[in-house]
Formats: sequence, C-alpha cells, structure tokens
Amino acid sequence: MNLKLFREMRNSKGPLQQEVIDSYADGRMSRRDFIRRGTVVGLSLPFMNVIIAACGGPVTTTVGPGTTAGTVPATTTPPLTTVPPVAGGVIRVAAQTPRVLDPVAMQDLSSYNLVAQTFEFLAGLGVAGDIGPGLAESWEANADGSVWTFNLRPGVKWQDGSDFTSADVAASMDRLTEFGNSGLKGVIEAGAVDASDPSKAVFTLLGPNGNFPYLVSLYNAQALITPVGFELGQTADGNPNGTGPFKIVSFDPATGAKFERNPDWWGGQTPLDGSEWSFFDDVGAMVTATSAGEFDAIVQFQLLGGEALLNNADFNTVITKNTTHRQIWMRCDTGQFADKKVRQALALSIDRKALIDTLFSGYADIGNDHVIAPLYPFFDETQEQRPRDIEQAKTLLAEAGKSDLTADLHFGELQEIPELAQLIKTQAAEAGITLNLAGENNDSFYGNAWCPPDPADPPCSGATELGIVDYGHRAVPDVYLNAALKTAGVWNSSQYTSAEFDAAFTEYQAATTTEAHKAPAAKLQRILTEDTPIIVPYFYNFVSGYFKTFQGLRSSALGQVYLDQASKV
Amino acid sequence: MTRYLARRLGLSILTLFLIVTIVFLIVNVLPGDIGRRISGPFAPQAQVDALNERLGLDDPILTQYLRLVKNTLTFNFGDSFSLDRPVSGVIGSALGRSLRLAAFALILTIPLSIAAGVFAARRRDSLSDRTVVTLGLASSSIPEFVSSVILQATIGVGLGWFHVVGRAPEGSSIWTNLSYLTLPSVALVIVYFGYIARISRSGMITALEADFTRTAVMKGLTTRQVLRRHVLRNGLQPTISVIGVQIGYVLGSLVAIEKIFNYPGLGLTIVNAAAKKDLPLLQAGVMIVAIIYMLATLGADLVVAWMNPRSRLEAEA
Repeated sequence: MNLKLFREMRNSKGPLQQEVIDSYADGRMSRRDFIRRGTVVGLSLPFMNVIIAACGGPVTTTVGPGTTAGTVPATTTPPLTTVPPVAGGVIRVAAQTPRVLDPVAMQDLSSYNLVAQTFEFLAGLGVAGDIGPGLAESWEANADGSVWTFNLRPGVKWQDGSDFTSADVAASMDRLTEFGNSGLKGVIEAGAVDASDPSKAVFTLLGPNGNFPYLVSLYNAQALITPVGFELGQTADGNPNGTGPFKIVSFDPATGAKFERNPDWWGGQTPLDGSEWSFFDDVGAMVTATSAGEFDAIVQFQLLGGEALLNNADFNTVITKNTTHRQIWMRCDTGQFADKKVRQALALSIDRKALIDTLFSGYADIGNDHVIAPLYPFFDETQEQRPRDIEQAKTLLAEAGKSDLTADLHFGELQEIPELAQLIKTQAAEAGITLNLAGENNDSFYGNAWCPPDPADPPCSGATELGIVDYGHRAVPDVYLNAALKTAGVWNSSQYTSAEFDAAFTEYQAATTTEAHKAPAAKLQRILTEDTPIIVPYFYNFVSGYFKTFQGLRSSALGQVYLDQASKV
Repeated sequence: MTRYLARRLGLSILTLFLIVTIVFLIVNVLPGDIGRRISGPFAPQAQVDALNERLGLDDPILTQYLRLVKNTLTFNFGDSFSLDRPVSGVIGSALGRSLRLAAFALILTIPLSIAAGVFAARRRDSLSDRTVVTLGLASSSIPEFVSSVILQATIGVGLGWFHVVGRAPEGSSIWTNLSYLTLPSVALVIVYFGYIARISRSGMITALEADFTRTAVMKGLTTRQVLRRHVLRNGLQPTISVIGVQIGYVLGSLVAIEKIFNYPGLGLTIVNAAAKKDLPLLQAGVMIVAIIYMLATLGADLVVAWMNPRSRLEAEA
C-alpha cells in the first residue's frame, strides 16, 4: 500500500467519507461496495481509483461519450458499446400504458421511464447500477450527514434556453415535500434547500442521514428536477421543459409517445435521433408484439409467459437483481391475525422456493418476512431462513385457537400477484387455513383494501385484515421501514406497532455508514421475522430487454431504461 | 316514409336519454372515490379533495346529473378525468381507429359471407352446402380472443406475413395501415363469416322457395334475372338487418381483439374509462356507440324498406 498517498487523500475528506475509505482499506468492504458507497457519500470515481490504486487494487474505468471521468455511469445491462455506435435512427420501445406524466405524483414504471427521458435527477444512474453524478457533478456531507451540499453541473440549460440553477432544485424539493413524497417525508421539510449560490444546492436535513443522495436520485423516481415555474399538478407533456437528452414531441396515453434528440443536452449529442414508445394494457400482447419484431426494446416483462423473448437468440434479456417485493400484510391490532402465532403459522405454510420457481423460473431471492433484501450491503446473512413447516403451523394455529382459520385474501390484479394469491391459497390449505381470494382491479385495490383514506388516523387503519401489496425497488430500505412498518407509518396496513422495532429503526437511520448500518439492520431483520406483521416471500429480479440490433441501453434496478447512450449496431 | 323516419328518430332520442341516465346511475352506485383513483393511492387527501371539487364531484347528485344531460345535449363532454385532456379528442381518435378496423373487416366479411350463403342456398343439402354451413358454425364457435391469438402465433410471429399489432406508425401509407389491420380484421371475419353466411343462406332459401320466384321462373326469366331481381332483393333483407346491428357491435364491443392486437379503439377506451370511473369519457363513449348502433340499425331498416315497400307500409301502419 502507498501509505503516504493514501493518508494524503484520506485526510482531505470529511469523517463520513473517511469511514468509507477506512472500511475499504481494512478489507471490511469489497471494491464494488467501496465504489457504490463512496459514490453515495460524494467521493468521485477518479478519487476512488487513486485510493484503490494506493491500496494495490485494479482501477475502474468509465464508459461514456467523452465526458468527465466518473460523470457517465456504467450500466447494469449486459453488453454496453461493443462496436462503434451508428449515428441516427429511432428505437421503438414497448411499455405498459402510463397513467399521467405528473413528475411528482406518478406511480407507475412507464411514467417513470417517459418522464426520465426528458427530466433528470441530481444523482443519476451510476457505476454497476448504483447512483452517480447527474445534474449534480458531486456532493458532500458535513460530519454527521445532516447537511448535504450538491455541486451543480455548470452549463446545463432547460429546453426553453434558460439556465438551470439551485433555485430550480429548491423549488422542486418544495413541491415534493408539499406533495408528501414518501422518500423525503421526515427527512426534509419545505425550505430545506439553501439556493443562495446558484451553483450549489445545500440541503439541511431534519436529522443525520447517510443515504440522503439516494433520496434525490433516480431511485426516488419522483425526485426529478423541474424548473422553478413548474406547478404542482402539471405534467411533463403539459410543460415539456426538461434538461434531459430527449424532448417530448408527442404524447397520447392511449397509443404512445415520441421523443427527439435535445441538441443542447449537456451530455452532448445522443447517437439516436429519438425514440417511439407504444403503450400496452396487456403484458402478453406486449411480449408477442416484441417477439414478432414490432419493437426493438421492451421496458419490462415477466419470465412466466416471456419465453418467446427469453428463447430468442437475437434478443438480449436483461435480468437485474433488485429489491422489488410483495408484502402480505396481516392486521396486528385486530381480527384473526392479531395473535402473532396465527401470523407465524401462515408464514410457515408458504413454500417460498416453489413460488420462486413457478412464478419467476428461479430468478428471485428468497424472502424471510422482512424488508432488508439480500442485495443491501448490510443484509445479515447469518439469520436463519424461515422454513416451510406445516406441522409447526398447525401447532401454532391450535395454540391460538384458530385451527379452522378462514380469511379473505385481498389483492390487486397486477403482474404475478393473482397467481401468487392462488398459490398461497393452495399452500396454506395444507396447514388447514382456508383463504378466499378477493382480487380486484388494481386501481381500486389500494383505496379499498390496502390503505383506505378513512379513517385517516392512524393511516391505513381501514385496511383489510389480510392482503398482498406491491413494493417497488428502493436503493435503501428506508421507505419500506418508515412507511410500511414504523408505528403510525403512512402505509402501515398491518397496523404494526413495536417499540423495539421503532428503536432499532431510529438507530438504523442515525447510522451513516454501511458498517454502522449492519447491527441495527440485523436487529430489524430478526424483529420483523419474529413478529411477522408482513410475509415477504421473495425479492424478484427486474426483467427487460432489447434486440441485438441496438446497443448501449442501460437499465436501473427500478426499471428506468436510459437511451442516451443507445445506438444502432 | 317521413312519418316512419320521424318516429324512429323520436325513439332514438328517448333511448339516448335512457342510456345517459342508466350510465350515470351505474357509475354513481359503484363504490370508490374518483379523485383518489385518479390521484393514486399515495396522494395527500387535500389534493384528492381539491380534485373532486374541481371535477364537480362534490356537487349534489341532481346537479351532476343535470350537468351531464346538458353536456350530452350540447355534445360537450369536457375533459377526461383520468387522461386530463378533452374527451372529444380521445373519443374522436378512438372512433377513427374503430371505424377503420370495422370498415376493413366488413369489406372482407360481407361479400365473402353473402357469396357463401348464396352459393350454399342454391346447392341446398349438397356437400357444398353442408361444407359452408359446417365451416360457418365452426368459425363462429371460436371466440375471437382464441382466433386472434392463433392468428398472431401462426401468421404473425411464425410466418411473419402480417403485423401482430393493429396500429401502424403515424404517417404510414394506406397500404401499411391495411397491412397492420389485416390480422385483427381476419379475426373478425372468422367471427362474423358463419353468422352472416347462415342468415344469408336461410333468407335465400326462403326467397328461392317463394311464390314470386316460382312465378318469375314460370314467366320465362333467366336464372340470373330471377336471382338479381327477385331472389337477392328479397332474400338478403334479413342479412342487411343483421349487418346493421353488427356494425354497432363491431365499433363498440371489440375489446378482446383490440386488447390482443393492442389497438386502442372505442371498445377498449370505454372499458378503461369504466375501470377508472372516468364518467365523461365513459358517457361519451357509450353515447357514440349507442348513436352508431341506432344509426346503423336505422340505415339497415331504411335499406330494407327501400328494397321491400311492404315492410315500410307495415311500419307506417
């Protein structure tokens, strides 16, 4: 190790960054995790390369169209640019029908994708699928991680020709907090951004948060930066004035959207002239059309039913590990599941491996009834996996006096959830549990079963006693923990209340490094598995793809497809 | 004829009024908060309340109903709740697509099925007749969502002859548009061929056995003259009535085909509007379908009346 260089570099940084550097140097953190975590705490890729070199490791190179090293991220998708890009052309993309392109209120993957073609985040898609520089070139925190300074990229212009400044960041964050963005709730308040220097956005948080850059990145999909004059409720097609690589030419929610290259994009000329998006209500029809060559790329499809694409030698299937999961909530405060033994019994009746094999052809991580996914660097692998144990389930039900348990299982008709519900019903029946399937249109499900608006206090206290709800990928599990499981959390449909959990979560939130996260995360895992307010059967992989006539498409684990580096082969 | 037409139009207006009322009642009986459904499950309640107020959903039910009647009378349905754009544009685009699909499908179906019906009727109880009848029964027994998927898998994906989606890219030529519409249209042909061919065959048999046909033959007309002047004119009347009814159906009820071929026509638009409780869009869609249905039926009745004055006189009586 080059100790002199290492010390010089290390001592030039603050305590938050020093802890990350020390973790790598001590061997407590892998090179991959060092780059990942280092990016989050504001270390640049060149800086991390020097540290890696000083420690005797191989350096990381960047891929991109000639921008500053470290500013253009690598990708989670298989082949990047394998041959020189062909300039020009339009890519045809198949996506599910979006709802409304409201950057602040959007909730579906198609809307995320469409809006992200033309609007950008402070932190974009980085190395190995993590976050990296976006509209902010770099960022750093104070000693305890309660004040974060984002250094904005110079020369960025809105599509109307005006300059992008910190005032735009401040206005965007105020809109998000006013709307009640789930990622930022309890983290910042309106007026949190000091925009006195147009080139710097200084965030003062409500408390220390080592993961804050994730919350203003593409992994908080609504945290896009919109201009000062953008009003709450406006849509990206209604006010199409972004900073991104493409401009919206047309948008029709019934049919599709068109984008053309933004010639003034700060990242330079995109190889593609533009993109044409077609919308589908039916995933099966989307897979069929793509496999017939009607489209060049598909934003998302399921392995179950996606064989036509999976078996196509000319098609790149992109499988990205992520933390998307389903939560089977059980009311802990009232009803048949109020007794922990009943909740544990249902969890014990589930054959998780069979679910994963049947629904995802094996492409999913097994869940253990908590939300700390195996993908997170602080996941505790030593925790014992909950097995399937029908006899134990029956014993617990008998002890709880619920041997003849019958309940309605509510769910929305979304992706594989109806099949999951059917499988759970079959598996639970072996333990003597009778589940009646109560599926409904996904649009009405959230308001009817999962979190009805009334009664509003505590939130979700009108939820049904049992149901399945979907949770998308999050780069950190804070939203799952804060909204779905913390006492009086805004999405706490199981009405779970645990002082022990809340204390562990507070400890987790205060931690600013991966190492510091490990102990509280392990506690949270064990508390949740023991109390079982929710059953988490799996964390499934995100699947998208494109034909080999194109290259350079990049996907985030959340499912946004970035076309700025895409080109024809 | 004028009296007949006036009576039919009067009945049509009454029917439309009833449809407006029924759709309004159904939508308002269904549970659920429209503002919440549009804003999504995570929107603050204040925003949901503001949206409900902006859309006039907080108004008394009678006020909402009267507003709807007024909008219907003036053909001003306002903005779609869920799409946040004028209903007229959404419905206009969807109707245009449905009309193109229906027109192409009917152009393929009507001559083919009438010819098959006439062919079978003239060879009653022969092998040819039985073949047409059996083929017709078999084809109309296959649900359109099954035939659509088979067509996609074989002719679309397998052979690659035609597109497996119904909508051509914007600015495509008429031939490109037709090539995109071919498979969904063939799926429709499969559904309607048997039905129309059987009606046509049955009408033709009745006409062939009628006294006026025997008289025409007896007075020495050629077979071609008998068929053209007497048999076809009388034998096709039930077929025309059926086609009139089917035009309304084809325009508004092709949800399965539209879904499978990802063709956002009127049927799919109405279904999506119903799922989202998008009352203006739903109301406008249902009204358009009802109007088309009535116009098509009226048109068919007028054609029949023109072809056969007896039916006109019966109606006027």
